Amino acid sequence: MTSARWPLLAIPAALLLAVIYVWPSLDLFRTAFNETGATGAMIEAFSLKVWRDLLADPFTYELTVNSLWLSVTATSIALCVAYPIALFLFRTDTRFRGLLAVMAIMPMLVSGVVRIFGWLTILGDQGMVNSAARWLGLISTPMRLLFNWTGVTIGLAESILPYMILALLAGFGRLDRALEEAARSLGASPLRTFVRVTLPLSLPAIVLAAGLGFVLSMSAYITPKLLGGGRVFVLATEIFEQATTNANWPMASAMALYTLVLMLAFLGLSSVLSRRLAQ
Amino acid sequence: MAYLELTGLEKRYRDAVAVADVTLAVEKGESVALLGPSGCGKTTTLRMLAGLAAPDRGRIAVDGTDITDLPAHRRNMGYVFQSYALFPHMSVARNVTFGLEERGVAAKERAARAADALEMVRLKELGHRRPRELSGGQQQRVALARALVIRPSVLLLDESLSNLDAKLRQTMRREIRDLQRTLAITTLFVTHDQVEALAMCDRIAVMNHGRIEQVGTPADVYERPATRFVAGFVGSVNVLPATRDGQGGLAVWGMPIPGIASFAQGDADVFVRPQRMRLVAASENVAPDVPRLKGKVAQSIFIGDQVETVVSGEGGQVTVQSLSGAPTPQAGTEVQVVWKVEDTLIFSREAS
Amino acid sequence: MLRRRQFLQLGGAMLAMPSLARAQAPRGQITLMAYTGIFQDNYMATVVEPFQKAFPDIKVNYAPGGTSAAMLGNIRAQKADPQVDVVIMDVTTSSIGNAEGLFDKITPTEAPSLNELYSEARAVGGDFGPAVTYDHLVIIYDTQTVKPPLAKLADLWREDLKGFLSISAPPNIQGLALTCMVEKMEGGDHRSSINKAVKKLRELSPGVKTFEPNPDGATLLLNGVVKVATGWNARSQLYHDESKGRIGVLLPPEGSVFQINTINLTAGSKNKAAAAAFVNYALSQAAQKAFTERLYYAPTNAKAQIEPKALARTAATPETRARMIPVDWMEIVKIRDQWNNRWRREIIAAN
Repeated sequence: MTSARWPLLAIPAALLLAVIYVWPSLDLFRTAFNETGATGAMIEAFSLKVWRDLLADPFTYELTVNSLWLSVTATSIALCVAYPIALFLFRTDTRFRGLLAVMAIMPMLVSGVVRIFGWLTILGDQGMVNSAARWLGLISTPMRLLFNWTGVTIGLAESILPYMILALLAGFGRLDRALEEAARSLGASPLRTFVRVTLPLSLPAIVLAAGLGFVLSMSAYITPKLLGGGRVFVLATEIFEQATTNANWPMASAMALYTLVLMLAFLGLSSVLSRRLAQ
Repeated sequence: MAYLELTGLEKRYRDAVAVADVTLAVEKGESVALLGPSGCGKTTTLRMLAGLAAPDRGRIAVDGTDITDLPAHRRNMGYVFQSYALFPHMSVARNVTFGLEERGVAAKERAARAADALEMVRLKELGHRRPRELSGGQQQRVALARALVIRPSVLLLDESLSNLDAKLRQTMRREIRDLQRTLAITTLFVTHDQVEALAMCDRIAVMNHGRIEQVGTPADVYERPATRFVAGFVGSVNVLPATRDGQGGLAVWGMPIPGIASFAQGDADVFVRPQRMRLVAASENVAPDVPRLKGKVAQSIFIGDQVETVVSGEGGQVTVQSLSGAPTPQAGTEVQVVWKVEDTLIFSREAS
Repeated sequence: MLRRRQFLQLGGAMLAMPSLARAQAPRGQITLMAYTGIFQDNYMATVVEPFQKAFPDIKVNYAPGGTSAAMLGNIRAQKADPQVDVVIMDVTTSSIGNAEGLFDKITPTEAPSLNELYSEARAVGGDFGPAVTYDHLVIIYDTQTVKPPLAKLADLWREDLKGFLSISAPPNIQGLALTCMVEKMEGGDHRSSINKAVKKLRELSPGVKTFEPNPDGATLLLNGVVKVATGWNARSQLYHDESKGRIGVLLPPEGSVFQINTINLTAGSKNKAAAAAFVNYALSQAAQKAFTERLYYAPTNAKAQIEPKALARTAATPETRARMIPVDWMEIVKIRDQWNNRWRREIIAAN
């Protein structure tokens, strides 16, 4: 009886998705086969010209590599930070657990512009990191931590961190404290327990979080724009630029679809991997 | 000096005292049950033994060696968890060899010992399966094999049978007890089920509010409970509020209770187990040195091989348990309830 | 003071009215889409509100748009059922709209003010929407830390400014304009080549803190992150006033480039008469004077009588007009991608 009703319950969500996601996606798809005139005017057509331009331009592949590299590094850094935090939140029985969890995901609520001023005070030439390094005598001239790849990588890792913590917490389902205690009682040191029990059991969560972090990084354009100082070119910023500065919708659409395919391929891969690991 | 010694163990969680002052000595090869209601500190005591919780005070010694500050993985305790805690990402065989691998036992010996352990719990054929492919009882046995294969100094069982159905529980009780006897392994197990405790142990430690109230053989604890709590928790009992008669003796429902003239001052309750009580006709002449109550049968409840008869008197109700088969008096019949002097337990009321 | 200004604006509106009043007076609602923020605040006060006083039967809704391209996107999306009647946007974008048939032509019959515009202001849109404001690229600098003060474009290459520059790179129009200016400074002409500009800007690159200032150069300047930035004159003049002179504004003697906003009639507007009345008013002497004196955009109406003090802060004085580099934005748009690539590969990459 209950199982028969589930599809009914899913209808509003499906309709909403159809309206806010599927329909615009189809529109995007259609636009990618229009042409762009010399002065930027969009010409209704059904041609592959934009696709040829896109795929023939070596810059497209440069952007692809940039996007993949940025996503992999930012996700890896974020994972290293998110994992211990999530593990702590998952396990702690302190009464401040709720508060700590809220603090961990609070950055989600901060707007991009506020964030950049935050990073300026931390990573800027006169920022906390440079001041500390100078005070310790490690450097004499400020390190360039902002308005370049370094800044974008750090900023992006931070911005995906809350999502990854949430994904890890959601994925920690099988991580039972008793299993670790069992390992300890059987003679495994804390480190061995982590390697043989905790880590393998949290692998599905890690894959889930990494997949999410990767997709979020691939599609992020605010952080690369705000912290990249115009030096960081990735697919997302280029799509944004084509659409909102050049008004070149066909190119923006084609590039968006290209990116979408990349991301879907990756997601498919990671979900297969995750299911394998969950067995 | 006993094989396993717990001395003055204490554990607090924030403001709550989980274990107040636990001292217990267990001989080698002995099986001891920690029995008590939930929250009495019995599991915490077991966890401190395994090194999964650190005591705030007190010491733990095994075979004369103080292990109080030893980390869990160096204690060599075989712990069977309530949830079994089998590693879901490993096969049954791998679960069993886990402890051996961590001890650096050579592969060949590992395999042999794991096979023995699985055979011991009659699961020899299932080594390649994943834990989730096993039934509850099978998982329980794997957990047992995994704990035993490391040849632990002490086997610790934490409510290990509570997740099984009644029938299986009975079988497992016997199996575990047999294994324990065969291997002569020192065992401490936690339970809130008195039947389980009575059936599986050499001695029982009854715990309440973080303390051990009494330690003794099952018969000791049953026949000669040291405290009101033990009397009430182990087996069923009629609690009869007593009044003091003129001569310094005690009376229940207005009837003096013979044979206890030496009782101290203060209010007290008389405890008598339902099985030790007998119904006799109101007209029957009972010797004056036999304790007795008078009342009317309120109802009889048939519970299989036993019948419970509730008798109402002027001071309340008592339950009398007798073998079924004999004729039971009709409700409303005037009866007398009698028992032996030595079955009378008296606990002062202040002490509670 | 304020009251007198309002009175003058009202008077101006009245003067502009008779030509339209002869026909059936237009009425109803129109929607104007233009930039948000400072532009909106000041355009409302100096143009939209006086217009509504002069035409009480017309209600103007101001729909704040994002970038010009974002506004164009809106118009494209509403092509079947336009919700916007008048749009103000950059000429490079409005020309796309003209080509795509999103905008209507405007005749002097509909908007007599067209006849008062500078010829190039009218020519920029062809028969379509003409220029409504002129702005130009300036260099802004922190007068507290940049000593001696900036005097010319070539000063960007000064040793003491290394690491403290904010340069907006293409495809941002500021970057395109700067390319033309540097090419001219180096003795070239962007119409034939930008090799000289690229070579010179390449030297500048390592000293540039950001090629994409966010939220804008002036904010980074006030935060001490940079000392010098490129910017548009109108906004910069306002920042100069608001920062009590801390932000200095330099119109480089080497010349600058006009940024042009056009005013456009949406094709298929449901209230074309009222929309045309608004366009006419926006191009009128009164509106042009009021907006220029408030926000220092140079007027496109040749007959607008601007206070000399305000005029001096625009590029509309005869001597500065002479220094402006003639840029045909339509031609730039065609080679924008090339310039963009050269910036990325040869300038920005040179770190």
